[in-house]
Amino acid sequence: MAAASGVQPPPLGNEGWPLKRGGRTPAGRLMGGFLPPAERRSGVLVGLYVTIALLLLLIGDRIPQAGLRGVGAWLFAPFDRLVLVVDRAGAAWRENERLHERITRLELDAIRLRQAGVENLRLRDSLGLPAYRALTLRPAEVLALAGEPVPTSATLSAGALQGVKVGDAVVTSDGLVGRIGEVYAGLSRVILLTDPNSAVACEVESTGVQGVLRFSASPRPQLLLTGVPMADTVRVGQLVLTSGLSLRYPRGLPVGRVERFARDLNGLTHEIEVAPAVSRSRLRHAYVVPGPVLPGAPDAEVGR
Amino acid sequence: MRVFAGLLLLACAALLMRSTAFSVLAARGVIVDVLAFVTVVWALRWGENRGSTFGFILGVAADLDAAHWLGRHALALALVGYGVGRLSRALVRGNPATQFMLLFAATLAHQAWVLVLELGGVAGWRFLLGHVVVSGLVTAPLGVLVLALIGLGSGRSLFSRAAIEDAPRT
Repeated sequence: MAAASGVQPPPLGNEGWPLKRGGRTPAGRLMGGFLPPAERRSGVLVGLYVTIALLLLLIGDRIPQAGLRGVGAWLFAPFDRLVLVVDRAGAAWRENERLHERITRLELDAIRLRQAGVENLRLRDSLGLPAYRALTLRPAEVLALAGEPVPTSATLSAGALQGVKVGDAVVTSDGLVGRIGEVYAGLSRVILLTDPNSAVACEVESTGVQGVLRFSASPRPQLLLTGVPMADTVRVGQLVLTSGLSLRYPRGLPVGRVERFARDLNGLTHEIEVAPAVSRSRLRHAYVVPGPVLPGAPDAEVGR
Repeated sequence: MRVFAGLLLLACAALLMRSTAFSVLAARGVIVDVLAFVTVVWALRWGENRGSTFGFILGVAADLDAAHWLGRHALALALVGYGVGRLSRALVRGNPATQFMLLFAATLAHQAWVLVLELGGVAGWRFLLGHVVVSGLVTAPLGVLVLALIGLGSGRSLFSRAAIEDAPRT
């Protein structure tokens, strides 16, 4: 019929679809001709999404995201709690047994330490040194972790209503977890030590060797104690604690243990890998430690 | 409307699982890429337009959950949704081998892109490769198993057979 009217039907491809100029289907030009035709406007749609995503990658840091994250955290908090109930119910029984044993051991230790503490206070007083500040602990539940392959932030079940402030330290019984980065009404967001922008002034147990703890993602994720001169002696297994030089964190909080060390690229300082004291995979509860009242900028901690 | 509600529900469930149950595994170095999984499932079910839309929305939500690189999940998942949706009408979607290959490839692409940005390049390529492959090898069989269980539970496959024969002919 078409031939009779002088109009040739379009040639057919292998799959029976009409071929466009050039002898191939539009999809075939891209994908070897085995795909059916694309949905209407799918190219435009995916192009739009790719453009928006690329724009976000380029200028996303300039967009105020804290408010959006706050709304997200508020929306998800009840569901997070619900999922965690199931996850934690099983673990609670085993944890209870372990904790009872630990409490007994710690109570015995506490008696010994109380005596040592009294003696220490007397000696510090006689030397004219100020007394250590006792830590105030605000308990909170860890609702969610974010970031892959290594979690870089966590959502806590305590916020401004519970007196949590930006910059407060977050600890567990094992040691330092991070610091509060954003505070919402009943929730807050912790910047973990594994955040690339986090830096903590630390010292090595008993020797007092000073360094700055940073997270390095390359060549593999690891916590590094940097800026330790080669002349200083550090041993594998030694405990790394927050130092008195830190403006943000109380002194003496365990951060991790020295795992291995090497020369840095310049050959001037040690590059010490630290195994974190707090296991992020078992992060269920944490305590917020109110930070000191700092004169000036709230971000004075950077680099310390 | 039902599709939109389903989209929101699936996206919320995926984000929830990712930040709670699967974050424990992620902290131990095993990433179950639930975002890639649900994007693949959605794109297989609904095609490239809805697949890329779902991937984009889910990606933006996941990006907001992380502290850095707004747009990285959105870009990767929108492209995964588009690619899988584009392939969906040419494949036997109910076939476990097909599902495995799609999930493996989608996880590989998503994780590789996200980790390259997170690690700041490919200097740590051994770690990156290990993580990406492990993630693919965990996510793909687990995803196929979940789809099979859903199929068994509901009594029918989530996906109908490929519809090459439905393509327009003249």
